[in-house]
Amino acid sequence: MNCENIREQLPECLAGRLSEGARERLIEHLEGCSACRAELAHLGIVWRGLEALKLEAEPGAAMKGRFQSTLAAFETGLEQGRLEGPPQPARSLHAPPRWVWQLAAGLAALAIGMIAGRALAPRPQAAPEIAQLQGQVESLHELVALSLMQQQSPASRIQGVSYADRMTQPDPQVEQALLYAVSHDSNVNVRLSAVDALDRYAGDPNVRRALAAALAVQDSPLTQVALIDLAVKSKDRDCAPALRRLASRPEADEAVRQRAQWAIGQLGIEGESR
Amino acid sequence: MVEDEQIMRQVRDGEVGRLEVLFDRHHRALLHYFLHLTGNRAASEDLVQEVFFRVLKYRRSYQAENTFRAWLYQIGRNAYLDHLGRRKNEVAWPAEAPESASPDAAPDRLMEEKQETALLRQALAEMPPEKREVLVMSRFLDLKYEEIAAALQCEVGTVKVRVYRALHELGDRFFALRGEPLS
Repeated sequence: MNCENIREQLPECLAGRLSEGARERLIEHLEGCSACRAELAHLGIVWRGLEALKLEAEPGAAMKGRFQSTLAAFETGLEQGRLEGPPQPARSLHAPPRWVWQLAAGLAALAIGMIAGRALAPRPQAAPEIAQLQGQVESLHELVALSLMQQQSPASRIQGVSYADRMTQPDPQVEQALLYAVSHDSNVNVRLSAVDALDRYAGDPNVRRALAAALAVQDSPLTQVALIDLAVKSKDRDCAPALRRLASRPEADEAVRQRAQWAIGQLGIEGESR
Repeated sequence: MVEDEQIMRQVRDGEVGRLEVLFDRHHRALLHYFLHLTGNRAASEDLVQEVFFRVLKYRRSYQAENTFRAWLYQIGRNAYLDHLGRRKNEVAWPAEAPESASPDAAPDRLMEEKQETALLRQALAEMPPEKREVLVMSRFLDLKYEEIAAALQCEVGTVKVRVYRALHELGDRFFALRGEPLS
């Protein structure tokens, strides 16, 4: 076996993956070839050094939840598909997933059903069915909102936030998804939309705490200003420490510092103990 | 334990809820794969979600002759290439080194190990992406050459050559940074 063939086996040798026969042939070659021995020694330093670059990072707690929501939405889409008939021809990679259309079709069908039911059914008996249908439409809104908020494209995520905003009843899962978007979404526009959509949840003490925490770690001045405005609008005095820190942080954006100072005045928390 | 391939066949045949088992088994390693390639945690977490969504979407195309891992990383690679196409100017690299030296090592030795690790990280980050990728797959994800070949859609012999050349080039870059060229 020539040197080239031997050297190509060195990474497998270092990984301990060579078969016994191949390892014996390699050792036999190395005994008589100082150049290949030197190559093995150098590659060995690099191979062992790479051990220190292995990542220990643990997946974020929200990852499993996001996956489960996607899975649930997908299963619902499949079920809808089964109810609607045979599968359609495959779509291109860049087209919206079929289940989105199926959910949209489901929403439309339910809306038509509600209107028809309202028009045709006698009033006294119609109320429970309409309430039930409204509940189903609400669930589908929630499903579409949660699914869209997990998409790769910021435009889809903004659309998801918009769906969330259209829900008539606040929902804990949507609330968590919006809070996650405010703190972690890579796109500033999605974060801003999520702050707007959280307006209706701002009375909840847990949401207030989460928003104060988001304000402390937020790096986008636009989102910081939006969070400050939301705090003032909802008269959230719990975020006083975060506002004070922001108002006195020299590295914060000037506009953000001024807005935080303004909010402190608006909320009347200037003189409170720190 | 039920094998990945058997579970994926169940998913392919309609039991899509079974994918949760495969998510639990593989999402951490997949996250590390993307972290090594992108250096960006948020993007890597998004890519993991994207991969499992694609697994659902293309579940019917799963062929049992390859391991599930090979197929998963083939999808992961495509998702990463799509991501790279969209955000080629936004790729960042991790700045922080995980602690490598043993806690009771002497301070001088500790410092030296940290410097070596930093140089190796820099050398790896400067590698062309396709070479960095085979190193990540073989060294960090512990994928077999057959699995890497299936993921990269090439021959096993090609993988063998690529891994060797990538490791050799990494060595060249690392020793050059240390001021002692290898070849």
